[in-house]
Amino acid sequence: MNKIILRLLVPCSLLLASCIAAELDNTECDIEAVSLHFDSPSDIFYHDYDSMQTILSSESEIVFIVRSYANIQSIPVTLRVTEGASIFIKTSNGTEAPFQNGSLVDFSDNQVHQFHIVSQDKAWSRNYTISVVNDKPSEGNLFIDFESYHLDASGKYYIWDAPDAFTDGEWKNGNPGFKISKSSAKPMDYPSTPVAGGGPDGSACLKLETCDTGPFGRLAGMRIASGSMFNGIFDVGNALLDALKATQFGTPFIHKPVMLRAWLRFEQGGSFQDREGNVVEGVVDEPDAYIVFYRNEDQNGGKIQVDGSDVMTNPNIVGLGRLPHRLKADGSDLLSNSPIHGLTNEWQEVVIPVVYKAEVDPDILANKGYSLVISFASSWQGAYFQGAIGNKLFIDNVQLICE
Amino acid sequence: MKHKLYIIAALFSLALSVNAQENAWEKWGPTKGLESGGFIARAGYVIGGTTPLPLPAEVRKINAFSPKGGISVGIDGYRMFTKRWGVSMGAHFFWEGFHTAADVKNYYVWLEQEDEITKGYFTGTNVTNTEMWGVTIPVLATLRMSPRWNFSFGPYLSYYFKQTFTGEVFDNDDGIGYLREDKPTGAKILMSRENPTPYPDDFADHMLPMNLGLEIDFDWKAMKHLNVFGLLDWGLTDIWDRDFEAITFRMYPIYATIGVAYRY
Repeated sequence: MNKIILRLLVPCSLLLASCIAAELDNTECDIEAVSLHFDSPSDIFYHDYDSMQTILSSESEIVFIVRSYANIQSIPVTLRVTEGASIFIKTSNGTEAPFQNGSLVDFSDNQVHQFHIVSQDKAWSRNYTISVVNDKPSEGNLFIDFESYHLDASGKYYIWDAPDAFTDGEWKNGNPGFKISKSSAKPMDYPSTPVAGGGPDGSACLKLETCDTGPFGRLAGMRIASGSMFNGIFDVGNALLDALKATQFGTPFIHKPVMLRAWLRFEQGGSFQDREGNVVEGVVDEPDAYIVFYRNEDQNGGKIQVDGSDVMTNPNIVGLGRLPHRLKADGSDLLSNSPIHGLTNEWQEVVIPVVYKAEVDPDILANKGYSLVISFASSWQGAYFQGAIGNKLFIDNVQLICE
Repeated sequence: MKHKLYIIAALFSLALSVNAQENAWEKWGPTKGLESGGFIARAGYVIGGTTPLPLPAEVRKINAFSPKGGISVGIDGYRMFTKRWGVSMGAHFFWEGFHTAADVKNYYVWLEQEDEITKGYFTGTNVTNTEMWGVTIPVLATLRMSPRWNFSFGPYLSYYFKQTFTGEVFDNDDGIGYLREDKPTGAKILMSRENPTPYPDDFADHMLPMNLGLEIDFDWKAMKHLNVFGLLDWGLTDIWDRDFEAITFRMYPIYATIGVAYRY
């Protein structure tokens, strides 16, 4: 009998132990972080932390914004790339040369440099551009009509151009996350879509709709996706891991906002459902629109970027304006069946004043020490994957008015 | 004279031992005689796994392995044509399966649900569970190696009544868990054990209902009607539908059974 067991166990254990093959070379080829080296970064950047950028996997155009008067010449550049990947830089004559970290790169005259990262296994590569741009004086009062939009590189969903003052000139929303959960969706099935001719003036407007994320979203415990539109960063990498952290709100802004005016129209969707997809009786879903102004640097010079978990509550918020909602005694959101947002099926211009709870320091303001958030959502609890499928918020002709 | 006596004694003892040998073959042989048939009713514990062979290089480490279920009951009919050679055929009903958690790197996954497909290259922990209920029909040649040892070898066909195949992906012990969407340069989507991403629940629909393989079986006759046995079913055909693209390698069921049998 022992013999039998031995005869069986020997091949079995051989199978398990000997079968781990040699590790294959890495296939990834990302720039994970870029830093520019200056002896005194404060003279060049608005924040010291701006001299180093961590790069999202979806990014390929890396732009450093420096003070308007900073005179940029050759700067030592260090890239952190995927383990084993090699870095090449395109030279002026069009060829590629290996790039040593810490080498000088000439960024004078707004030169845009192309970097080519090749994976350890040599089978994959990615192209990046890195540039250093002097900050331009920005208009405080913004008019946003959502007329300028186009499909993303994959042709799956729409992207809207944002005012230059906002990060990389694009509005952000949850569409890239929706693509992961519902890849079969057509561009017009996404939560954030344009409506040509749908605006109050007959031009295009923006439609945010709370959508069912489909079977994959159900598996991931994210049954609905609220339509959203905001300025800041959407970190699609975190969309499944920690959705609240995926929406990083706000971009540095050097004017003090006073109010937001927006043309809004709202269509009520179906019944309110919780994260598990159960209908919650006696609760009506509500749209949301808000403007937040916050200090973007802590006492130690660290970066502050509010996200879905604290966009209303971060202690660094100095000013806040929001579509009216019922709130609990502690200031948190109160789900109810009698919303007070006042929106209807008809277009109306809504005024959302910014209420300040702290002074805005003009010197800090001039040095981009505050960030501005403008954000819209078709479901106000969408960050928690609760809401009513079919809620629609139409938006057009948004005006930001500053002091 | 002495010599003669020795020779007689030697011959006598030789005859006796041959006789004893013959008795052993008779004693442990088929109940109805050396060249007859009978049956063996088996019950056993099944352990094994369904695995790609060899393991793809994307699998870096197997962190957990445990059998699921693991019961087999069946009956074989046999017929010995000579003292040493015979054939057998049977039906073994089984419930077998396993759970495994492996560290994978750059492992192609295709998460599909109804019309939705999310695919890409995953690095982190990959958990797989499978269970199968079915019947195996082995057709074996039997070699009686000694009075008490039988060795059988031959093909089998398994038919599955029910199969499940589930799994999920999340971060590994170093906190690394992400999917590169579509290709290694695609969006990097982080995944953690707090919010593991499961395989879709329709994987089992892509499993083939039958499997062909080879069985080897050692039977040891412990008592007059009681065998102790160990057998190995080594699948030679892929468990997946040829059109199933979510798993890029072939997987084979390899399960061993250890048990006792009533022999007649």
